[in-house]
Amino acid sequence: MTPDILDETVEVWFGPQHVSAHGWATKLKLVGDFIVECDPHAGYFHRSAEKCLEYRNFRQGSPILERLCMLEAFLAEYPYISAVEQIAGLVVPERAKVLRTIMMEASRIHSYQFWWGQLSAEMGFFAMTLWPWVDREFFLDTFEELTGVRHSPHFSTPGGLRFDFTEKVLAKLEKAIQVLEYNMPKFEDMLMKSPLFRMRTEGVGQYSAKEALRWGLSGPNIKACGIPMDLRKDQPDPNLAYDMVDWEVPILEHPDHPGESDAYDRMVQRFNEVKTSVDIIKQLIPQIPDGPIIDPKARAKANRLPEGEAYGRVEGARGITSLWLKTLEKAQTPYRAKIRGPCFHSYYALKHLVPSARFADFIVIFGSLDPYPGWWDR
Amino acid sequence: MGFLRNLGEVFTILKHIFRQIFKRPFTSLYPFEDRPYPERTRGRHIHVRQNCTACAQCVRACPVLAIRIDKADKMYEKDAALYFDYTRCIFCGLCVDACRFDALYHTPIVDMAEGEREDLIYGPEKITTLDREPLEWRGRRFR
Ligand code: SF4
Ligand code: SF4
Repeated sequence: MTPDILDETVEVWFGPQHVSAHGWATKLKLVGDFIVECDPHAGYFHRSAEKCLEYRNFRQGSPILERLCMLEAFLAEYPYISAVEQIAGLVVPERAKVLRTIMMEASRIHSYQFWWGQLSAEMGFFAMTLWPWVDREFFLDTFEELTGVRHSPHFSTPGGLRFDFTEKVLAKLEKAIQVLEYNMPKFEDMLMKSPLFRMRTEGVGQYSAKEALRWGLSGPNIKACGIPMDLRKDQPDPNLAYDMVDWEVPILEHPDHPGESDAYDRMVQRFNEVKTSVDIIKQLIPQIPDGPIIDPKARAKANRLPEGEAYGRVEGARGITSLWLKTLEKAQTPYRAKIRGPCFHSYYALKHLVPSARFADFIVIFGSLDPYPGWWDR
Repeated sequence: MGFLRNLGEVFTILKHIFRQIFKRPFTSLYPFEDRPYPERTRGRHIHVRQNCTACAQCVRACPVLAIRIDKADKMYEKDAALYFDYTRCIFCGLCVDACRFDALYHTPIVDMAEGEREDLIYGPEKITTLDREPLEWRGRRFR
């Protein structure tokens, strides 16, 4: 009698050497082609960012934060800056607020453009990998014109900004948005309408809003379930300019399964997010006020901070990104910085989402949650 | 019906792919061509020793300890020699911001690959001179 393949389980390590696993590893137990157990392991990408922050002063901290997620660098550095500003009591000039908001939204769009390509590559749809990345180059050109580097811009500093907008930067940003808007219908055809893409994603990795809340998901992953949970609207930051804009939180209600989302819905939701971000940038560009970009005394004030605690937060491209900062009296460095990355929760949600899925669907489920290893290994 | 709709959508995708074939490639042949870099490009540094006052603010501002200062090595009245370790530098630009005497600048030279680790530690001779014009692109030399 030949042994039945369904009688025994096989253990498979997905990553850290796998091509789709850029710095993470998951242990899977398979019966035949089906996954019965999924055990996500964090720690393969650990660079001790929190400890590094304790050895750097308040102006040197944000380059560390940016490296946790290069794709949303303008968003990733903000919680730290915000926490320092709250403790030091710094006032941010109006112009800096508006420019910060514009660049944060541009960074969000850039992150989703990268993600479209990444998800398509993981599914073997290589044409769609390179087209959004071409459009992304225009945003990278904007970042380069503004700050001098394509990634890790280090744009904000406590009390304002380091670089000011020029005519050239605005022209490049407008061109990037023009190209994006011109190509959006093409991407929608390629991804949202493609029958092959739909077959791979529809009904895969489905969860309800209740489960998503229990697992601590945030950002587009929960907005795809129809819950309008967005920090930009719920807790408007006084140092950002979202109150100058008229916008709605983009949510998705699928007619067939309201209150639930599958991989396809999460992809559609990210298209909605990009449209909202483009809308916000377009409304803010005519409203950029004149004036300084940094308070001249901010530099001296950020040298030594009083004793205090602050919680800086921002709605990142992947969900709620926040940082808790504690300082001691006349501190030059933080006493403790605790980072809350959005992707730790989506990574560990795999434990509940993946069992009973097929092995080939694993990477689709993983990709649709848009996790970035930097956010769980910090 | 569903089959026909799917067929129509497959043809839409083929149409997009067909159009793409006749577009100019977006990439460039890098070693042979290069693109202009913007004015603010944060490439390797240049140290102007005539203006330097040996205040060591750049050393203190650096988050990754990439700069070493040698105050004994004087070429002018009150300057100092700087050693930049480009195996550590993250091109954050904080040292250039910190220098209040216009003695430290970024240059648009970003291609600094070397065969040996030691060659990436730029001593006082290397950091004060540009071995080529910033506008002379590396690629042109290979043509
Ligand atoms: S650019 Fe940044 S990392 Fe490099 S030497 Fe200057 S301060 Fe240090
Ligand atoms: S380069 Fe500038 S900051 Fe550095 S020691 Fe010289 S004057 Fe001071």
